[in-house]
Amino acid sequence: MMWRLADHCGQHLSELAVADSRICVLDGDLADSDGAIHFAQRFPERFTMAGIAEQCMVSVAAGMASCGLKPWVFSFGAFLCYRSYDQIRVCLSQSRQPVTLVGSHTGGCSARNGKTHGALNDLALMASLPNMQVWAPGDTADLKFAMHSILGGDRPAYLRLPRRPLDALAGEPAPCRWIGTPQLVTLVSTGLGTHLALGAQEILLRAGIPVGLLHCPQIAPLPAEILSDALRQCETIFVIEDHYTFGGLASLIQHAIPQVHIIAHGWANDWSGQSGSDEDLLKHYGLGSEQLAATIMRQLKSPVNAKRVC
Amino acid sequence: MRSEIVEALYACGGGHYGGSLSVLDLTLILYRRILQISADNPRDPQRDRFILSKGHSAMALYAVLRRIFFFEYPLSSYGQFGSPLEGHPDMTALPGIDFSTGSLGQGLSVGLGMALALHPTGQRTWVVLGDGECQEGQVWEAAMLAARYGVERLHAVIDYNKFQEWGWSQSANVNTQPLENLSQKWSAFGWRVFEVDGHDHDALTDTFRQAMETKGQPSVVIAQTVKGKGFPLIEADPIRFHCATLSPEEHQQLTNGKL
Repeated sequence: MMWRLADHCGQHLSELAVADSRICVLDGDLADSDGAIHFAQRFPERFTMAGIAEQCMVSVAAGMASCGLKPWVFSFGAFLCYRSYDQIRVCLSQSRQPVTLVGSHTGGCSARNGKTHGALNDLALMASLPNMQVWAPGDTADLKFAMHSILGGDRPAYLRLPRRPLDALAGEPAPCRWIGTPQLVTLVSTGLGTHLALGAQEILLRAGIPVGLLHCPQIAPLPAEILSDALRQCETIFVIEDHYTFGGLASLIQHAIPQVHIIAHGWANDWSGQSGSDEDLLKHYGLGSEQLAATIMRQLKSPVNAKRVC
Repeated sequence: MRSEIVEALYACGGGHYGGSLSVLDLTLILYRRILQISADNPRDPQRDRFILSKGHSAMALYAVLRRIFFFEYPLSSYGQFGSPLEGHPDMTALPGIDFSTGSLGQGLSVGLGMALALHPTGQRTWVVLGDGECQEGQVWEAAMLAARYGVERLHAVIDYNKFQEWGWSQSANVNTQPLENLSQKWSAFGWRVFEVDGHDHDALTDTFRQAMETKGQPSVVIAQTVKGKGFPLIEADPIRFHCATLSPEEHQQLTNGKL
């Protein structure tokens, strides 16, 4: 069975911890689902099972960080971001403590868990806090790149990881990069969204529509300069993300680069989430590869979206 | 120091008289007689840690830190633009603040994290909470976790002044105390419990030292205090003086010992 990114995170962290005694892990009683198990088994003396008490867990981690440790806090993204938002705001963001939050099972694809366990606006919450670094890796190489970047700095961070295991992406990891050749029509995506975009891109190519794919795992601080340079050559820009269309990558790019025209594809803001297979959910809500490709083809024919050079 | 606090709060337009005056003695005794710290090196990694979890009583902490030479900023700059004496203690603004507080209920968890991190080197962590603050669920999350791990160098101190900002003072047929059966609650959560007169300096010193002898479990000192201690006007109206502004006449009379 393929590992989730959260498993890779726990595993890689336990490898990095050999050389860095400051690294420690806290978990909110989901270690066998959220990846913390790999660290817990290797470094039991540096692992704290904080119980089903996320608010306390985040603040405990902040106290540890203030004494020189590098705590990584594992749970589902929903419980970290929503249950502990005030603790993240005060103890991490305002207090500038280098705690990393590893949120698994984010986005809208929560399988049988359904709406309570998904995280549909977590990027909006985390990216709008001062001092937070936010990453939504698209594969294991991205994840490791993000982990090294976080450990090289001294700021709090949020790693947004999906429930579903992800295949490797082509090319070398970077905060923001083209996968394949740049084109006038471009899909911009992050995290699981990049895999949805790849599926749509393939269908569009087969239909004779060349579409570029710009993958942006670094959400905050947004690599606005790289994005701006890349998108300058593009005529039509679609953002595809496993997040509400408001408050995520599309909104952040639109805010940072007001002159671009973004067509956002994500979860509708009036949807709360529900149980179901990834395929059923994505298909029903228009984010399956075929639905995305069909919608994009239709939107490309609309004169409103034609040749919007930024 | 009580006069300094009252003068400074008046000068900066009012503030949390009641809680600052109730927490002052125990804060002073911790800093003067218990904490292993140095004003010359407020960020010494080897120091004991102190968290004022009830951050709205910041004026008391500032008065103590100034008295023991942590800084020379005037207390009257409290909460003014550009002053490191933020309205609630801010570790990014003022050396000597071990952790930022203000949003109630978080300090004990932070202190637990510090105590866990400092375990190998033996420093102690002291966290001062309000009784009203103990209504926050996170306090009890931390209480459970600290007891589970037997964190003996974590010490909580409750400023048990028996009032909160508004509380249930106007409610009929409801217990109006911020928290009932404090001692039983902490004890049931696995803490060693001490009780003391929160304005008796020698008793506070002895009790804090006894708490430091605790083995295998965290300890809590319940300090019986008076909201607004030292000023009859304030003691008599703890609801108004949780956070209040005095008229010039009231301030004059207060400082002349007439109120």
